[in-house]
Amino acid sequence: MNDMSKDKNIDIQIYNFAYLDENTKRMIRRALLKALCIPGYQVPFSSREMPMPYGWGTGGIQVTSACLIPKDVLKVIDQGADDTTNAVSIRKFFQKTANVAVTEKTSDASLIQTRHRIPETKLKEQQILVYQVPIPEPLRFLEPRETETRKMHALSEYGLMFVKLYEDIAKHGHIETAYAYPVKTNGNYVTDPSPIPKFDNPKMNNNPAIQLFGAGREQRIYAIPPYTNVKSLDFEDYPFEAMKANFKCSICGSSDSYLDEIIVSDDGKRSYICSDTDYCKEQTQLNSKEEDQ
Amino acid sequence: MMQDFLFKASNISKYYGQNVGCKNVSLDINSGEVLGIVGESGSGKSTLLNCIYGNLKVDEGDILLNDKSKTILNFTKIDEPKLRLIQRSDLAFVHQNPRDGLRMNISAGGNIGERLMAIGHRNYGEIREIASSWLEKVEIDVSRIDDKPSTFSGGMQQRLQIARNLVTKPRLIFMDEPTGGLDVSVQAKILDLLRNLVRELGIAAIIVTHDLAVVRLLADRIIVMQNGNVIEAGLCDQVLDDPQHKYSQLLVSSVLQV
Repeated sequence: MNDMSKDKNIDIQIYNFAYLDENTKRMIRRALLKALCIPGYQVPFSSREMPMPYGWGTGGIQVTSACLIPKDVLKVIDQGADDTTNAVSIRKFFQKTANVAVTEKTSDASLIQTRHRIPETKLKEQQILVYQVPIPEPLRFLEPRETETRKMHALSEYGLMFVKLYEDIAKHGHIETAYAYPVKTNGNYVTDPSPIPKFDNPKMNNNPAIQLFGAGREQRIYAIPPYTNVKSLDFEDYPFEAMKANFKCSICGSSDSYLDEIIVSDDGKRSYICSDTDYCKEQTQLNSKEEDQ
Repeated sequence: MMQDFLFKASNISKYYGQNVGCKNVSLDINSGEVLGIVGESGSGKSTLLNCIYGNLKVDEGDILLNDKSKTILNFTKIDEPKLRLIQRSDLAFVHQNPRDGLRMNISAGGNIGERLMAIGHRNYGEIREIASSWLEKVEIDVSRIDDKPSTFSGGMQQRLQIARNLVTKPRLIFMDEPTGGLDVSVQAKILDLLRNLVRELGIAAIIVTHDLAVVRLLADRIIVMQNGNVIEAGLCDQVLDDPQHKYSQLLVSSVLQV
């Protein structure tokens, strides 16, 4: 492989646009349309082998591939960051196979594939947010039988979901679930928001962007259409709380964005920085502008 | 005609291919009454119980429940969501093996609370209070509310299963060998507990067992089954003291006397 990626023409001959063949994309689009019609419902689809291992975003990448058009501007984030391995490799993958424009700026992107975060910058209409989902079934660890969980969804039997929250409070005194916090979509299906921190849950509610979820290994696609009601489950006396580390970002100084904890020295000194690198950059620029004036 | 029965099954038949599960069985039960179903293993007791609870589809017959609002529901005709709702609220099922009826990796409180949350309770404090009071009722130390059932003894697990089922105040409880697999002293304790709860709460019960002592203690009426057929039915003492059918006679005479 003598750096074929430099010659875009060769790549486009080798791969169909965005890697997947047109029949597969059509199959995925059908699943996506069905998912958008029934918010929160897990639509089975025939997931393909992708040139990466399961757990690296094979579901998200198939959804992105089915949605991508040549004039799209793509942004890929992993844990909020544009520069981590998963994000870089997926971004490169689509540069190579679809030759689309890429960006790190949330507001410039028309399609954002994400792992474990929703960007801090507010999304807008016409944007698509694609989530990589490891386990689409929120009831999975409570009820292992797929036949049973499907029935539970169909009949809205969600008592068991609350048993999980009950166990949290009984054990820890508060709802300990901090990521993949279950939500009720459009007042109907209980949905797994993928392992985003529960800090991001409120952003899903009434969001103007289209939110698509792809689980490759589990072969499921689900979706939250724009402006859909998304409610995090809770108890009357233990209401849902979006939470984050109570510090400021040590780079941009922001106190309202989700923070990563970093150990910076051998004796355990900690530092907190924004997990959303694009947002952090933006804030730093704003700060320096203010200083200039 | 006054509809004063609580539960009625008429002409229930269930076939497993060529084999008969149960054939042409009819039974009825009034509220607060305890009905025993006895017979040897393989006689169709459990099949019958699962059929009339709605877990197994029957091939013939009708199953009628007189629900809280005095409407008659036919299990063979109503749709599944309705049936499951009835199973969660009006009915309860106690399995022989508590592992089948409990969630072993969820605390005792969570196990009792599940049925409450399933019918819409959303207040943690309330759920916990009700769970504690039920632990007391079934004589499990309240301090063990956050322990998992896997740390409980067999008898405690069975009592927890009973609490978990009774918490939503069902009107009819189905029990499949509730004391099977427990040693005699624990059995006696469970029977005592069941007798008190059933009498106190006015719950009707259908108990399947091969143990005649259990029905003698708990049941008002019994039916005796053999090869899927009911061969004798009547008041408990009447059937046990003066069995008419030769199989019933064999069954009664084969009980070991101490």
